[in-house]
Amino acid sequence: MKHRLDVNGVSREIDVPRETSLLEALRDDLGLVAARYGCGRGQCGACFVLADGRAVASCLITVGQATVYRIVTVEGLASAGWDAVQRAFVEEDAMQCGYCTSGMLISATALLAQQPSPTDDEIRDALDPNLCRCGVQLRAIRAVRRAAEARG
Amino acid sequence: MITPTSEPPRLEERIRLEPDGRVTVFSGKVEFGQGIRTAFAKIVAAELGVPVDRVIVVLGDTAQVPFDRGTFGSRSIAQDGEILRRAATLARRLIAEGRPLEGSIPDDVPVSATRLADEPRRMEAADIVTGRARFVADVRLEQMLRGAIARAPVRGARPATVGDRTARAMAGVVAVVRDRDLVGVVAERQAQATTAVQALEIDWTMPPAPDDDAVSIPIAEDAGVETALAESPTRIAATYAMPYISNAPIGPSAAVADVRAEGATVYAGTQRPFGLRDELAATLGLPVGAVRVIPLMPSGTYGRNSLGDAALEAARLAKACGRPVLLQWSREEEFAQGPARPACVLDIEAGTDADGRFSAWRYDEHTNAHGYGGSLDPRQAPFTSGRNAVPPYVVPHLAVTLHVEPSQLRTASFRSLAAAENVFAIESLVDEIADARREDPLDLRLRNTHDPRLRAVLEAVAERSGWRDRPRGESRGFGLACSLYAHGTYIAQVAEVTVASNGRVRLGRFWCAVDPGRVIDANGVRNQCEGAIVQSASWTLLEELKQRDGHVATTGWDTYPIAKFRDAPTDIDIYLMGAAGEPPTGVGEPPGVPVAAAIANAVFAACGVRVRELPITPDRVRAARR
Repeated sequence: MKHRLDVNGVSREIDVPRETSLLEALRDDLGLVAARYGCGRGQCGACFVLADGRAVASCLITVGQATVYRIVTVEGLASAGWDAVQRAFVEEDAMQCGYCTSGMLISATALLAQQPSPTDDEIRDALDPNLCRCGVQLRAIRAVRRAAEARG
Repeated sequence: MITPTSEPPRLEERIRLEPDGRVTVFSGKVEFGQGIRTAFAKIVAAELGVPVDRVIVVLGDTAQVPFDRGTFGSRSIAQDGEILRRAATLARRLIAEGRPLEGSIPDDVPVSATRLADEPRRMEAADIVTGRARFVADVRLEQMLRGAIARAPVRGARPATVGDRTARAMAGVVAVVRDRDLVGVVAERQAQATTAVQALEIDWTMPPAPDDDAVSIPIAEDAGVETALAESPTRIAATYAMPYISNAPIGPSAAVADVRAEGATVYAGTQRPFGLRDELAATLGLPVGAVRVIPLMPSGTYGRNSLGDAALEAARLAKACGRPVLLQWSREEEFAQGPARPACVLDIEAGTDADGRFSAWRYDEHTNAHGYGGSLDPRQAPFTSGRNAVPPYVVPHLAVTLHVEPSQLRTASFRSLAAAENVFAIESLVDEIADARREDPLDLRLRNTHDPRLRAVLEAVAERSGWRDRPRGESRGFGLACSLYAHGTYIAQVAEVTVASNGRVRLGRFWCAVDPGRVIDANGVRNQCEGAIVQSASWTLLEELKQRDGHVATTGWDTYPIAKFRDAPTDIDIYLMGAAGEPPTGVGEPPGVPVAAAIANAVFAACGVRVRELPITPDRVRAARR
């Protein structure tokens, strides 16, 4: 079944089974692998993407449902003007294995779009859906704060 | 099979100058987020006097690197970091003399004063934040199929009959694979493979009951323990327990296998690329030299990738269908099929004399096999299932016995192996003795150790946390614990907690003084310490793998909560105190070891409740209050 997706500012057509998740389509049909499979139930945040600016679990929505949104993945963050968030995570070394980092970047971007200078509690709340087993939470909080300051 | 030798390492296997002036470094260790690629690059760059970004580090690729037993025990910096440092020193001399980079790497090269670069903090970081990084499940090969495995209802059950008519007819299905006890599906798309495997009709033959017996292994057997205990004016006995927990990687196990008649290439998350290569060769019926294992990051797995489950399964699927296969386990499979950290019951009795010096100590550690071997080697047991079972204190009469018992669940390696359980029991008991003697637990510890480095971390963490003037009561408490980790890293920690009226424990600040010998990469050490503390606090307060008769009931994060952003401590203070003259000892595991006791001791200080069984849930705190 053919679908037209708006991903990272580009309109792209894919032909996939009806029930295909947005996550599977991004990773296997569009070559965008930054959103990662973690649980398939929207419980871990590893597959988060921006859908009209909101962080959503791409494992939970189908390609058909995704056609109505402007989707941004981590591959498109810089061109969408959010490179300060990426830089801040590098500068704070807010990662170990990096598997959950994409999801954190998406949650952080969605937060800063809504609230340009969040408090630490607001950052914790915004990133709470993102599970991180390596334990870089405090660094990620500092990174979001740094990104907010960098964006002024 | 290539066996390790005691030959000195060779420079030409370790460092190569490229025509464009870059330097390639080779190590059999693997990266899974602990930062060794960055540390190795900085070590070599400093010795050779080149920028870090001119150094390429090849890790674990069995076709390119010298043999290595595996990446575990926090030994990468101590072992390969040191070899690379000496190799680079030799290389620098040979380059200056215009000679080729070859020869034995000497084992007695003094440490130079060259300062290591601070930047980049992590070599992989730029790729990770832009989506360029490639994890195992991101590998895409021509003609690649996706796999799914039919899982037995009970561990060890074997498929008797397989009805596959429905599955074969489903969209995208390329083959149903039956290879001895393995049944799986390969399909064009992941969702197709996952759906089709559910449509298989399989009759399973239940396995015979395991007939393993418990094995008791003495670790310390001083005479006179019972007499000395009986004569001790202060004497405390207590039993502590910890449940099975999951390694719970955020990325479930994955592998990509490309198996041809003449050889196989397997991309996998593995801590033992050479061990996995040998297992793959045996499974596939190929010579060892025809199998190449290329380790990629699977996500952090904290010991889980000592076992190559997904790689072996993917290789069997790929061999059977003749096309490359990506196999990625589901979340449910990772919980149910992945190995668990062993459960344990820990019986300690210890006594002190009138001056508060330990007089006798008897410890019986009941646990399951830690480590990837499956069966327990009694000679290794004191370093695996018995790791850190001996207290770091002066005890004139000491008896320590390790009892390794059969497990209903598959168990293997979790970060620090048994050190975390043993130190939870030891350091909780020390706190109980201090309370019985009405004295400060810091004083009791200092009185009972002469080791200057253990004393130094204890005194440092006390000073930084304001231990002597700590607030008491009001549902808020400070807890202290320490450890001399197996191979020589010293840690002392103070946890601050508050305990709500409903029994909920919340972390406040956390202090950690660590002496890992010479610090190679200060930011890397801090990141490992912080992460280990958060992770251990998670299993201390939240985690238990739910199981019944060996069947894991946990299927997702909803029934296996781990610490989230809101649960993280308010602040973590890491104080690095390694002496430049001491060899580096490693920090991947040690900082997570004393955390459970520090938190349990803080809970006691906050509300007078001693919780001896993990996790420290609100229910347990409320029950202990009554």
